Amino acid sequence: MTFSPQRVVVTYAAPLVFLSTDHWKQIYASLVSQLPLRNLHWKATTRPTIRTIQELDVKLVSLETLREDQTASQIPQSILQKPLLNIYVFICEDSETYKTTTRKQIKDWHATISQRKNQEWLLVHVVRPDQSVAQGRLFQMKTSVLDKVKADFNTDKKDRCVQLVWSADKDNPAVWADLITKIKEGILSAFDAALTQREEEVRRSEGQRQMPGWNFCTFFILKESLASSLEGMNLYEDALQQYQELEATFFQVLQEKNLSWFGPLITPSSSDDSAPLLSVTKKPYRDLILANTISVFDFRVYLLARQCALLSKLGELEDICQKTVAFLTTFARTLREVEDTLPPFFIESWIYSSALSVVDQCDEWARPLELAKNQLAAFSAAKGELVELARLQLDILGIAAQHLPNQPPFSLSLPKSYNVSRDNQVEEAVTTISRTELASALKDRDAFYELYVSVTNRAIELYVSAGRRKFALKLHGSLASLDVHRGRLSSALHTFTSLPAHYSPHGWTSLEAFMLNRALDIHAAAERPRDQEWIHILLHFLRAYVDDMGKDLLMSEEDGEAYISQLIRALKDAANELDSDTPYPDHPALTMTIADRDAKLAETRDGSVLKVVIQNHLSCDLPINEVEVQLAGRDNSRITYTEKATCLTPGKNERTLFSPSSSAGTYSLFSTEISLARLHFQWKHMKTVKQIRAGLMPTLVHIPRDVHALDVRLKQPPRIELGTPSRVMVVLSTGRNEAATARIQLTAPSGIQFKFHDAEVIGEDAPPIRKDDESITFLDLKRGQTIVAAVPHSDASAYHFIRVNITVEYVTTSEPDVTRSLRLSRVVPTALPVAINVEDFFRGTRLFTRFTLSTTSHQHVRVRSTHLLSPNEADGVKVTSCLAQKPSTVSGRYLFQIDANRGQVRDPLKLQISYRMLREVSEVETLIELAVEEAVSETRALERLRQDLIDVLVKALETDASWVELYGVTGELVVPGVKIADDDLGAGLRRALEVMENYPMVRVSELTEAQILKKRRSPASFGEWREIIIPVDVPQMHILASARLQILENPFSSEKLQKRTRPLYAGQPISALLTVTTSFHWAPPEDTKVESYNMRYDIEDLTQDWLVSGRKRGDFQAKDGETYSVPITLIALHHGELALPKVGVTALPIPGEHRMRSTIIPGCETHQVHGAEKVLVLPRGGRSTFVVNMGEANTST
Amino acid sequence: MPPQLRLNAVAFVSPQNHPILIRTFVQGQDELKYHYIAHTSLDVIDERITAAIASKSTECYLNLLYTMEDVAVYGYMTPLKVKIIIALALTDAVVRDADVLTIFRALHTAYRQSVANPFLRLNAPIDGYNDHAILLAAGSPKWKAFRKRVDDIGKAVGAVAVSV
Repeated sequence: MTFSPQRVVVTYAAPLVFLSTDHWKQIYASLVSQLPLRNLHWKATTRPTIRTIQELDVKLVSLETLREDQTASQIPQSILQKPLLNIYVFICEDSETYKTTTRKQIKDWHATISQRKNQEWLLVHVVRPDQSVAQGRLFQMKTSVLDKVKADFNTDKKDRCVQLVWSADKDNPAVWADLITKIKEGILSAFDAALTQREEEVRRSEGQRQMPGWNFCTFFILKESLASSLEGMNLYEDALQQYQELEATFFQVLQEKNLSWFGPLITPSSSDDSAPLLSVTKKPYRDLILANTISVFDFRVYLLARQCALLSKLGELEDICQKTVAFLTTFARTLREVEDTLPPFFIESWIYSSALSVVDQCDEWARPLELAKNQLAAFSAAKGELVELARLQLDILGIAAQHLPNQPPFSLSLPKSYNVSRDNQVEEAVTTISRTELASALKDRDAFYELYVSVTNRAIELYVSAGRRKFALKLHGSLASLDVHRGRLSSALHTFTSLPAHYSPHGWTSLEAFMLNRALDIHAAAERPRDQEWIHILLHFLRAYVDDMGKDLLMSEEDGEAYISQLIRALKDAANELDSDTPYPDHPALTMTIADRDAKLAETRDGSVLKVVIQNHLSCDLPINEVEVQLAGRDNSRITYTEKATCLTPGKNERTLFSPSSSAGTYSLFSTEISLARLHFQWKHMKTVKQIRAGLMPTLVHIPRDVHALDVRLKQPPRIELGTPSRVMVVLSTGRNEAATARIQLTAPSGIQFKFHDAEVIGEDAPPIRKDDESITFLDLKRGQTIVAAVPHSDASAYHFIRVNITVEYVTTSEPDVTRSLRLSRVVPTALPVAINVEDFFRGTRLFTRFTLSTTSHQHVRVRSTHLLSPNEADGVKVTSCLAQKPSTVSGRYLFQIDANRGQVRDPLKLQISYRMLREVSEVETLIELAVEEAVSETRALERLRQDLIDVLVKALETDASWVELYGVTGELVVPGVKIADDDLGAGLRRALEVMENYPMVRVSELTEAQILKKRRSPASFGEWREIIIPVDVPQMHILASARLQILENPFSSEKLQKRTRPLYAGQPISALLTVTTSFHWAPPEDTKVESYNMRYDIEDLTQDWLVSGRKRGDFQAKDGETYSVPITLIALHHGELALPKVGVTALPIPGEHRMRSTIIPGCETHQVHGAEKVLVLPRGGRSTFVVNMGEANTST
Repeated sequence: MPPQLRLNAVAFVSPQNHPILIRTFVQGQDELKYHYIAHTSLDVIDERITAAIASKSTECYLNLLYTMEDVAVYGYMTPLKVKIIIALALTDAVVRDADVLTIFRALHTAYRQSVANPFLRLNAPIDGYNDHAILLAAGSPKWKAFRKRVDDIGKAVGAVAVSV
């Protein structure tokens, strides 16, 4: 029996006369063209849901041609074997004809049909369109033929009669709609009835399973008929369901070990191992089943093939592949139990052929299907598994035929029960294996390799298209192993060196290690030079090796430790031969941690030592050359600790690293490096901002300050002279060192340039120096020497402070081959600490200048003395200080009197101020340092705490200003708010405070210079005074006017009385004389030739106090030394002590002289001679009448 | 005597696909094979996860991943995306999902109990506090207890019969 889909059969019958007409042929052709049926909705009685059949092919046969004898067969056939629907077509135009002939014919037909079980019937009455129209028009009362037919045959509710309005010319689907619906209904109803009955039979049979006499094969055929019926109705899922149930039943049978209905497990025929697995026609399976002789092997293959065929119709190609893979692998195990009875390598050959044939078959099925992208991927993956399964068989065959070595990865595919010694069978297999390519591959080594590679590549391709990268990687690995075996070392090496990169990112170190190990072995086998590439492979391998997982997989060497140490020795040799430095970042075999976060001073020489712990995770000694730690400080400064080492033992190694740099401060761990010849293992330890925010703090290292180390400080020069290039003092103290050379470089980030060529060394005993554009080098420095050099620099007045980075490179005489470098960052104040205000007062030929000093910062300034210096006395300027000088802590005023000759060019004067800041480096801090020094000198243990002591005290002073006043007045320093703890530091503090309190309470101001020198401890006796020299120009003035308002006794007296006799009364006129004396003494030298200037006076309006009568304002011509006078009359408006009005005197523009298009106004200053005078005005009793004459004469009553 | 489920290997893989623990219960040189299997299974698991996301399934059990020669590989993903892969010796009998699921549940429990060990966090960096993988990596070589638990399950599984 064939499995070409059994179609639904529908019979037709008609009166013989009608069948022979052309009319019938037309109708038949038209009916056939309406097929197949579409969209059938089957509401099954036994199934919960409505099944929709998209399309159903119907076979239309004449009732006569249907042979009745088929039904007689005992073998259950598909229920579609019998027709489901019988149609009787007739034409009958009037009732008479119906009664006479047609009725009889239908009755006969109906009689035969209605006997049949599970078959439906349908009467089709063909009418002509004109006829039906005519009927409708005439309103015939008698019943139509159709009604009569219905009345005669359609006895139950179901309407089995349909009218077909036929016209040959118009092929209208609407014409057929009614009939087609009826046909669908009929088919479904008949199918449902038949299926229900058959299912009932199956159920009954299944219920009898435990009874004797029940036969699985019979049951199988019965149940399969259900499946094929469903398949015929295009209900593939339901059909598949049947097979699945059958399979389940089979497994139950298998469990019960009741296989009496089957033949042997397998009776291999010669071509079984290469037959296409999914073909259901390669053997007469159904006959074998019926004969109870089918082998389990054949039975299961058949079952699988049927299921796959159904799945292919459902488009579930992926399922097919998965099912076959599962089947091939599981059933192969069953077959292995009887392997002895099979031809050699039957199983392998069978799996190989089957897998590949399934792939081909699926591709065949897939061709018409449009698979979506993800479906395609899944399909490819499933196919890939099949091809890989085939490849695994090649592994087994290859090992057996000794084409492949029996070792991983080939041996991984060997089944558990595999017996290696089957060599003799290979010969035999060549003849028994029916798959030609396998047979020839077994014989011919090259053919085998070709086959192996092509099958593997096919699997790789499928996996890649499925997106299964890891599967593909594995297969690449096996290809590389094949290359190794074939001696193609270079391509194998290439694969093995590229594969680990795929395994390492996710930490699959075991696989990575395996690959690298392979690569190393190949490298050795290929006798390649141990170059940089080899080192990289080795390091990668070690990296994987130190991980625990990797250790388990060291397969090619028995003794891992010996293997590793041999590798390490080779690594050392290779590293020595490297021609360039090779860095290798973050190797996990070594870890370096800082053991002590506080670096220790080297004590005997400049520099510090740092303890680190290096953990060697390898199992053997690692030879090394150098260990290096870099610390990073501010402004990118780096400190490098190094140690020459030879070997790192496994486990912890404690090392002490030395750095010749003596920079103190806190540094963060920047990088570590372990060098083996030119191979550098490096680790970076800097943390990104993100890491720090996440809580991963950088490792900090504190380097203590070495007081005996070479040091460079920067200072403001003690004497600042404005107007000359600014300088900075570089103070180099050698400490314990005898330096052969010390090169100092200064750079300022703010862009200030240092002029090293103009640098000069200050002080005696100056060592030789060398100067170039960027640095200054001191030579032959002695121990404990302090050299001060002044380095001029470009203008820095825009800044209050400049930051200077100092780089010192020095070589000591004791260690001439070590160049120490010291990087420091210092801040030098550039701004003047004091601000100076100048006020000039001209009085005739004399000038009084007042300087007001005030501090610009929050610090107090102590001014010792101020001097105004004239560059040379001879040029006619004489300066006299007008005030007694006292050192004072606060701002002060200083007055100087200057006499100068007229009309001489005058050099600027210089104001010299000697001062110091109260705190800063100078006074109080020095005081504290002295006190601490004394305290420390008494207790040696405090030596290391010296800086801490000073810091504590200075901090205490900074937080509270209450000590300033007391100190300023008495010189006694009472440090406020120092907490004294009960430790060494506390003891030191207490002692230092005592020292300070014991200073004699001497007022600084009372001391003379000599006394200061004697009293060692008085505040003024120590520390440095700073000096500032400010050039001061002698001011110039064209005209100096002194205005005077004098009260006269009477209007006519011209004499000025020393003592007024007449009292003044409010409201009475008072005569006064205004005089303006002008002097050109201070006129600039270039203007001394000018004889006179035009000037104007103006008496101030004091409308509350005075009425002014007369020329209140007037112009006059001023000449040097002459006096202009004008009489006026004043009237006091009220009594009391009144100040006289001020007189303003201004110069008028010089006529005719222009400069820059504007008139020139000569400089003029006026002082009021009567400025301090007041007059007593008495109240006047009685009444007064004033007649004020506006004319020349004035009278009073 | 019904055939038994034979557990060949167990692999725990972190959400980031790092191996946590790979144990094999077969003697011989098969370790590499099971490492390979665990590694390749990740591809299939990824496929399954994609499918599961598409269908909005929250099932942990990923079913049979694939069969290869003599092992059947099953996958399971915990709600926290730790993948558990087991390799069962292939038999020509129906393997019930319920049995496999029981093994997975036991393994998941073993994992949970081990991860719950508060001392695991001792050496873990702070920023990875919520990151499981770092936690696992930090503990993995010293995870004796976990290894023992898994081994115990492996032993116990020998007694799980494929009953029908």
